Amino acid sequence: MALEVAAARQARIAFQRFGLGPKPGGPQRIGTDPKAALLDELDRPNAALITSGSLPGYREACADSQRDFALPYEVFQQERRARLVQALKPEIGLLERLVTFWSNHFSMTVWKDQAILGTIGQLERDVIRPNVLGSFTQMLLGVMRHPAMIAYLDNDDSIGPRSPIGKSWGAGFNENLAREILELHTMGVGGGYTEADVTAFARILTGWSYVRGWEADNEWNGGNDENRGQFIFRADWHEPGGIDLMGKRYPAAGQDQGEGVLRDLAVHPKTAEHLAFKLVLHFLTDEPTEAMVAPVADAFLSSGGDLGATTRALVDLPEAWSLPLKKLRTPYELALAQYRATGTDVPEPDDFWTFTEPMRALDNLPWEYGPPDGYPDETAAWLNPDAMRVRLDTSLLFVDMFGEDDWPVPGDLARDLFDSALSQPSKVALRKPADNRAAMALLLMLPEFQRR
Amino acid sequence: MRDPNDLRRAAAEGCAESRLLITRRAMLGVTAGLFSAAYLPRDAMAADGDARLLVVVLRGGTDGLSVVVPTGDRDYARLRGDIAIPTSATIKLDSDFGLHPALKTFGKLFARNEAAVVHATCVPLRNRSHFDCQDNLENGLPGIGAVNSTGWLNRLLSALPSGDPVVKRGAIQVGEAPLILRGPAPVLGWSPTWFSPAGRDIRRPLLSVYDEIDRPLYSALTRGIEANNLALKSDASDDADVSALRKGFRGAGHLLAEASGPRIAVLSVGNWDTHSGQGAAEGFLADRLAELDEAIADFRKAVGSAWKKTVVICATEFGRTARVNGDSGTDHGVGTVALLAGGAVAGGKVYGDWPGLAPSKLFEDSDLKATTDLRAVFKGVLRGHLDVPAGMLDKSIFPESAKITPLTTLVAGDDRQRTSSAAETGRPVRQRPLPPIARYRAKQAGASL
Repeated sequence: MALEVAAARQARIAFQRFGLGPKPGGPQRIGTDPKAALLDELDRPNAALITSGSLPGYREACADSQRDFALPYEVFQQERRARLVQALKPEIGLLERLVTFWSNHFSMTVWKDQAILGTIGQLERDVIRPNVLGSFTQMLLGVMRHPAMIAYLDNDDSIGPRSPIGKSWGAGFNENLAREILELHTMGVGGGYTEADVTAFARILTGWSYVRGWEADNEWNGGNDENRGQFIFRADWHEPGGIDLMGKRYPAAGQDQGEGVLRDLAVHPKTAEHLAFKLVLHFLTDEPTEAMVAPVADAFLSSGGDLGATTRALVDLPEAWSLPLKKLRTPYELALAQYRATGTDVPEPDDFWTFTEPMRALDNLPWEYGPPDGYPDETAAWLNPDAMRVRLDTSLLFVDMFGEDDWPVPGDLARDLFDSALSQPSKVALRKPADNRAAMALLLMLPEFQRR
Repeated sequence: MRDPNDLRRAAAEGCAESRLLITRRAMLGVTAGLFSAAYLPRDAMAADGDARLLVVVLRGGTDGLSVVVPTGDRDYARLRGDIAIPTSATIKLDSDFGLHPALKTFGKLFARNEAAVVHATCVPLRNRSHFDCQDNLENGLPGIGAVNSTGWLNRLLSALPSGDPVVKRGAIQVGEAPLILRGPAPVLGWSPTWFSPAGRDIRRPLLSVYDEIDRPLYSALTRGIEANNLALKSDASDDADVSALRKGFRGAGHLLAEASGPRIAVLSVGNWDTHSGQGAAEGFLADRLAELDEAIADFRKAVGSAWKKTVVICATEFGRTARVNGDSGTDHGVGTVALLAGGAVAGGKVYGDWPGLAPSKLFEDSDLKATTDLRAVFKGVLRGHLDVPAGMLDKSIFPESAKITPLTTLVAGDDRQRTSSAAETGRPVRQRPLPPIARYRAKQAGASL
């Protein structure tokens, strides 16, 4: 029996605003209480973990990333495929949305350096996933103590000018990592820190590096075959002494000095506001208001940066269930929604181009965004004429590649995906094409399917 | 349903093409103005006399010593071994230089003074990293140390007065979103895809749904289809079955040709990273150059009469080692060439100071020394061709570059009267993108005042 229109709309909000799109029959399954179904996913944080035994752990990924190019590239492809496979499992997929969100918050491109190519998947599996409903402090520390981020933001050769090595080599520090932690990862632009704070923080982070292949090969700079590719704190590269940052003195403490700063930054009120704003922007609306941002920021602060409590506050916002679904799915979310709606498995490696080529044309390949600010969250970045044309053509490509004779009639499938939330014009349009191929491509392009 | 195997075959070709582009992207800040009505041909304000600029980023580090061979340098053949191109095989440019034989069209244009070469040039950064040097080519900054920057062409759009044709008609990325166009100024986009286009049986019912319940999707999709048709339009003499690369150049030509179309287009061409088996007069690099050459010919035909108002710049992030390596290839180096073509180029000339390939002249005993900062080439074209004020070039578009003198002689008729004053610096530009949180906080601050 069809759901009440109001209930079907709430289900659509759960699946599209917060999830990765319904599988057939989804609205019926969660229809009586979509919010409860959503909160239920938040009660099972382990569902975010990828338990496949074939993917490398930290030590192996790091070591392999500092050998030839072919191996890390192969690992990277396996990791990306594993991420997609995981995204098809849950009924709604809020945890997978959160994984993508936080990974994008710490965005990197694998093309900057082999150290990233070979470890980005491991970083996401072992640092992001265990913390998407856990501690932001732990996530931040884990990302910054990882060779991928050290390589991506050029901290690997950052040397304190007054350190022993700095004095003997005349080397200096690089402030990229410190700047982006403040500007992008924690407090955000307008957070109140100064240029002097950026510089102070950069000095504090001197010596945070990783073991490059040549250092392991030559047992140089503390590298060896045991720690090949791994994060390393180089004490003799580290700027000595206490350093003032945002009015607080951080005494000399080696690596702990930088960790102390990160711990403070992680739970700073400006960080809370920044992260809450980004969550509302990503999930709810292009126009976050204080009424939406403040409760989420409060939950973050009062829980000491607990992302489970923060996400619950987001789901609890009245606006989460009342605002119209006006944002556009990103191309990546759209691809996952296509698989889920049609019961299609993630393509085998030989056919994986059916995923990557549309993502390439739509500029949304996972882990390949160049700048550190991450794929944009604003609809305007995705809703443009050429991209809509490519969405249309690639929807047809999807149907042609994966369409099966036993797929349901498109009109029936649309009912199973949206129930009573399917608009009348969409219902009428689905009956127009003469064949199921055209009708199925049309279904994948309906506003009901594109918006979230 | 179609036979997936047909699509796999099409993909094998299409993907091979797109793999030629090194995966290297930068999402554009704001794209709200994409294909605005002003872009399409109905605009009564259209002016056909505006200058056009096509920037081609050759990704991977193009071997300048093979593209424009220093036939007059006695050390060349010795350094290059089995990849040396014999002088007799080259297309003679002048007494010191010969063009790679695969660049037939470019050679003819050179002879007609519609193409030029700048030799021994490089981006300011010299660290031989693809990622960093491509960033540096596109962010227009003095060297390393900058991440998350805007691109210099976007800063151009931001800095020029709003009445300037370049700002009014805009810039378009063809294919992947490049850093060079990243920033707050809206830019257009068109992707030469190989996917089969959806037919009317899908478009008509879809557009009627959009029309009824989602006008923004309606407006975007109709304009996207229209622009794609415009870019792909062909006449009977065109070979329809060409690579995505050549489709991209054709599309860029068609779009720039439109009286009210964009005035600047950016394309990326990959696969120049010739570490092994690069060949000499024939071979891998020769094939890449031949395709680029055909693409330039395609562009010239597509852009039509606007060719006389056009400058095409092909630039790469670095050159390659002066010596051949053990795999008959070359490794990451420094000095290389920039190629210019178009009716507005002061062509028929090899520009730049040749440093020589003698052992003592090589940069770090390895590479052709760069005697011309690539920014001098870019600045010269912007100053001479687009009449961009010098102050704006020195401060906003290429920050801290006052000491890099624009090579304005690259552009024909450079002695003409400029309307812009040298001191103008234009509208303020951002060297870093402004994230959404900044706008939110600014609004909060305003609200609480």
